[in-house]
Amino acid sequence: MINISAKNVDFYYGDFHALKNINLDIEKNSVTAFIGPSGCGKSTFLRLLNRMNDLIDGTKLVGDIVIDNENIYSRQTEVVELRKKVGMVFQKPNPFPKSIFENVAYGLRVNGIRDNKFIEHRVEESLKGAALWDEVKDKLKKSAFELSGGQQQRLCIARTMAVQPQIILMDEPASALDPISTSKVEDLIYELKKDFTIVIVTHNMQQAARVSDKTAFFYLGELIEFDKTDKIFTAPSNEATQNYVTGRFG
Amino acid sequence: MTENSKISRNKKMSQNIAFWSFRILSIAVVGILFWILGFILVNGAKVISWDFLTKVPTDGMTGGGIFPAIVGTLCLMLGSVVIAFPIGVMSGIYISEYASNNWVVKVIRIMTNNLSSVPSIVFGLFGMALFVNTLGFGDSIIAGSFTLALLVLPIVIRTTEEAMKSIPDSFRVGSLALGATKLQTIWKVLLPMAFPNIITGLILSVGRVSGETAPILFTCAAYFLPRLPTSIFDQVMVLPYHLYVIATSGTDIEAARPMAYGTALVLIGIVLIINLIANGLRRYFGNKVKTS
Amino acid sequence: MKHAEESIKNIKKALAEMWVLVEGQIDKAGQALLENNKDYANDVIIREKLVICYELIIYRECVNFFALLTPVAVDLRLILSVVKINNNLERIGDFAEGISRFVAEDKLNKITPQMKEELRLEQMLSEVSDMLSLCKHALANEDTTVASKVFAKDNKVDEIYWESLELLSKYIKENTDVLPDALNLNAAIRRIERIGDRCSNIAEDIVFYVEAKVLKHIHKKEE
Repeated sequence: MINISAKNVDFYYGDFHALKNINLDIEKNSVTAFIGPSGCGKSTFLRLLNRMNDLIDGTKLVGDIVIDNENIYSRQTEVVELRKKVGMVFQKPNPFPKSIFENVAYGLRVNGIRDNKFIEHRVEESLKGAALWDEVKDKLKKSAFELSGGQQQRLCIARTMAVQPQIILMDEPASALDPISTSKVEDLIYELKKDFTIVIVTHNMQQAARVSDKTAFFYLGELIEFDKTDKIFTAPSNEATQNYVTGRFG
Repeated sequence: MTENSKISRNKKMSQNIAFWSFRILSIAVVGILFWILGFILVNGAKVISWDFLTKVPTDGMTGGGIFPAIVGTLCLMLGSVVIAFPIGVMSGIYISEYASNNWVVKVIRIMTNNLSSVPSIVFGLFGMALFVNTLGFGDSIIAGSFTLALLVLPIVIRTTEEAMKSIPDSFRVGSLALGATKLQTIWKVLLPMAFPNIITGLILSVGRVSGETAPILFTCAAYFLPRLPTSIFDQVMVLPYHLYVIATSGTDIEAARPMAYGTALVLIGIVLIINLIANGLRRYFGNKVKTS
Repeated sequence: MKHAEESIKNIKKALAEMWVLVEGQIDKAGQALLENNKDYANDVIIREKLVICYELIIYRECVNFFALLTPVAVDLRLILSVVKINNNLERIGDFAEGISRFVAEDKLNKITPQMKEELRLEQMLSEVSDMLSLCKHALANEDTTVASKVFAKDNKVDEIYWESLELLSKYIKENTDVLPDALNLNAAIRRIERIGDRCSNIAEDIVFYVEAKVLKHIHKKEE
């Protein structure tokens, strides 16, 4: 089942043509990785999916991005509602300066949920889902900044999960983490696809290979190749893809 | 070899000279400060007593206490902060979070800077024209508070803006990505984080308010009023103006001299206490939202 | 590394299934040979396709494992071994099919049961069948002590093979009319001997996986 569908998407930062005619369908409950050299447009495209690029002045989008049969750039779309449906985890762990509990509860509270029993339940569920519960259950009231970087990132994932989005976007979620934490986050991503559609941008090709079902290779604002991950990493059909995944350029 | 050691000796000497000149100048500054404080403390402490703090002035302001002036000063501090704080914080937030970087913001920023360099007596005149006469508040606490609020507004706006700007964008996008609105993001994430720094602005403005004489000269301060204000439309005595009066134009300047030192000491004391309280608050909130 | 663990589990499972299948192929081909049973022979020929399917699947899983999960240390040795074991199993399946074809195409009709007995065919078949199941258990239990047993059995199979050659040539001299069938039988026996060799290779691969030792060409010198 197609969850995200981009049709003829062009995107401009002022005069800079950042994305050129992107066509891409992402299936439900799959992990899709975007790879490519810096500045290839993969992060830009990711941010289009929950309209984070709205925050930047002077951008222009042409084409359609459809999530759940709804064009997210139509006038009727409520950005706040969209972002509830399409959560996002960022490169650097960015927990709020609140307690661990309140970090996870934040998304629920801003969405108007007052029922404390429900919030407690959901916080626990999310922390368990993010494989963090056992590590933090005794210090929920402690500041989130007391956690390690890897734990903070999993807290951010739990925070995103608490809102129960359909899609979770991840922008290089492990690039600021040590190898052990990275491996934990990767395991988590692999687990999460049971419940979520995951789109991940990564500079680390091995990471894309390890966690994703499908891989999209971006280069100079174009989508060069989009195929099953094993295909991309064993027999890519485009030479540029081959050169990139073998480390010959980029 | 000898040539080299000579050069290095010369270098060492110039280092020492520079170091000692910096050190002496720094000590001089601190020394002068302590001299002033000590002078006031020694002279003022003689008259400080429970009566001095709680009684009204008597004998043509050469006797009695300064209680009404203390109360007046506190009223003006509170009043101006209550007025300037919300306006200043909201403006600061607007400039930093809402306004895109266009000419409106530039104009606001230039105007705030100009506002902070306007001589305070001009504020006094403006306050008299607008609040006392046009709005008909008369010489009153409220007119004085508004005038002082205008005076410190630039400080509050600037510190708020800086405090908001110093918060990394990752917290904004993190909140927005969870489906929070901009207002929720500001209210629940950014403001708590910016609060310690905003309090710094508050400290600065309260200090400024407590020491200003010119803006309240025409808007609020009473020459002699040996009773407490009963409403915000009352005139009050205030410490700096009282100090000015008894030091320059009292009935008997020489006789009032000890009272002047006492008043100065109380004024400094109040500013010091407020600074300490504010610092405590800053540390308290700072710990609550400490990043990393 | 849940992903890697899961993949390893899947690969091991597929390999175990293929193993059972190939064991069945040997046993059935052996029976077909001993009893000159065409039905059994045809079964083996049909099921050879399944063996090939398994080989392709496991090979692709291994390639993907290398490409996606960059194995190191024990994982690297396991996947390398699996690639080779997979190849060997497929060859063994191939030999079983080859043996069956002689039966299915009536090329061994003139070989008498007594002759088969004299040639110790049954023993040879049961030796290679044992070797294969020994290897299976060695891999499942990561137990390399059975490797030497496998090598010993391989020597035994070789011995029977050489004896069978002599017996056959003598037999041919006496009954020239069975010459084509006898040659075919020799070819079939040669295949059984090759199965033994392949099982030895598998044992070596398992030793490489478990102990990180390369046994290639070592045990042969000990003979």
